[in-house]
Amino acid sequence: MIHAVRREARVFFAFAAMVPKLYLAYNAWVVVEFVVQILFMLVFVAFWRAVYANTTTLGGLDVGQTINYILLAQIVAPLVQSRLVSEFGGMIREGRIAIELLRPVDFQARYAVESLTSLVVFAVQKLPLVLIAGAFLGLRLPSDPAAWGAFALSLVLGSMVLFLTDWMFACLAFYSTETWGLGVVKIAVATFFGGALVPLQMMPAWLRSIALALPFSQGVAVPISFLAGVTPVSDLGALLIRQLLWLVGLGIASRLVFRQAVRKITVQGG
Amino acid sequence: MPVIRTEQLTKIFRVVRKEPGLRGSLKALVRPRFENIAAVNQVSFEIDAGEIVGYIGVNGAGKSTTIKMLTGILVPTSGSVQVLGRDPHRQRVANAREIGAVFGQRTQLWWDLPFIESLALVGRIYEVPPARYRQLLKDFEDTLGLSELLHIPIRNMSLGQKMRAELAATLIHEPRVVYLDEPTIGLDLLAKERIRDFIREQNRGRGTTVLLTTHDLGDIEQLCPRVIIIDAGRLIYDGPIATIKERFGRHREITFETSEATTAIELPRDCTRLAAEPHRLTLRFDRTRTTASQIAAAVMEQIEVLDFSLAEPDLASIVRQIYQGGLREVEGNPRS
Repeated sequence: MIHAVRREARVFFAFAAMVPKLYLAYNAWVVVEFVVQILFMLVFVAFWRAVYANTTTLGGLDVGQTINYILLAQIVAPLVQSRLVSEFGGMIREGRIAIELLRPVDFQARYAVESLTSLVVFAVQKLPLVLIAGAFLGLRLPSDPAAWGAFALSLVLGSMVLFLTDWMFACLAFYSTETWGLGVVKIAVATFFGGALVPLQMMPAWLRSIALALPFSQGVAVPISFLAGVTPVSDLGALLIRQLLWLVGLGIASRLVFRQAVRKITVQGG
Repeated sequence: MPVIRTEQLTKIFRVVRKEPGLRGSLKALVRPRFENIAAVNQVSFEIDAGEIVGYIGVNGAGKSTTIKMLTGILVPTSGSVQVLGRDPHRQRVANAREIGAVFGQRTQLWWDLPFIESLALVGRIYEVPPARYRQLLKDFEDTLGLSELLHIPIRNMSLGQKMRAELAATLIHEPRVVYLDEPTIGLDLLAKERIRDFIREQNRGRGTTVLLTTHDLGDIEQLCPRVIIIDAGRLIYDGPIATIKERFGRHREITFETSEATTAIELPRDCTRLAAEPHRLTLRFDRTRTTASQIAAAVMEQIEVLDFSLAEPDLASIVRQIYQGGLREVEGNPRS
């Protein structure tokens, strides 16, 4: 048993080790992306300062908390956004899915491993952004290691919740060959209900309850609230249980959906 | 012991029938009309360990669909398929470990990485022990000439280089069954030879079972003692290549070069005239009913012949005949 697990782990590690190499093949984009993100942050900070010009708190958050939250959201949201929908769409359209299904590994586990690895690679890549935000844009990070621990833990679990959610969306690609629109809608919904644009606390009660009923906030709002000083570390236990429940539910559902969807496959051409 | 067995294997695709133009698109959106297309229709065959079988048919005949069912990527609509005793779709991962596949127009390698990185990853995915990996790399070197490819990213490779890389990656885990879907497509003669040598070597040296689809009859003639021909989803021939050649090779063509015009000539019995040029006469005859010498004698009696040549039909023209509906001749002789 242990031997089998170790063997599997080695295979998945091979996939994981590939992620940074693939990423570095596109290093020109890293620079461009970096500049764009700084511009976005500047715009967001200016916007929220203007909003707070005539008030001291909004939804229970002061200007410092909000700016902290928004800057972190800008940095973290791209980390947990998987490209599964467009990836599946492309694979099915081009017929690459045939090749990927031929690899002797669990299809979903392999993508989960790659997704977690990208999370780490991207997190490292975003460090300069954090430093810049801290030095020039007013990002204040906590010194309490517990807050960082809570953030890291809930980020990893949350990213997996989002991965599984995306997986279900991506499986729609097996039924419709057009996934571009689906991807755009998904990103818009996930960004808004994940709390990447507006802190959930500022949403009207009904909208907020929708956001909390959806999985998207698990990957963005939940983890960054620990770092932004919005959620106290004492809430960690309850939040982790919630994330685990999401993981179990979505884990089962996504496997069932995939098993059905993959039967639909029509590899075009060839 | 058959390693591949299909029984009444059938795959039906449901496609939306769309009329041309925007109006047609809208109509298809509102009230789609579906049509069932049997890409593979009740195909049964068995392939034994160590065989190389050519799987041929025109574009859209159902070759790739069959291969995709054999690899577990597609689920059959009905009928059954077994590879090495497994259901390839239900036991996809277990099946994948023991097979290899090359789809001539796709790559299993990572486009942007140097070949050596891709190959190493494939080795690790299939858990090839490092010593064995190095040994195989050395073994492949002679035929595939890998050393010049190792540091080139796939996207910078020529078609021939890519196929060599692809084959190496497919066979690095020593699969028992290999599906090669048009492995020589678009390659020059030299590259084709190299690929064929490699396939032959793997089959002879390791007993790898190979199912090969191709449009290149050179591949078939050089590699496959047995062929399965499929047309419009149905199996129309399964048997030795020699039988096909014999059955369809009954017709011969004889060509005479003459000094005088050939227009007035009276044709010998049991033959038909093909080309109509003034100083050239091409006749086609059934060699079970007459002989070349009888015809030659009959022609030479009437006209002065400068030269003549006899042509045996090549596989290409035979297969063309089969595709065009000449299959009835072999239909009654399926492989038992």
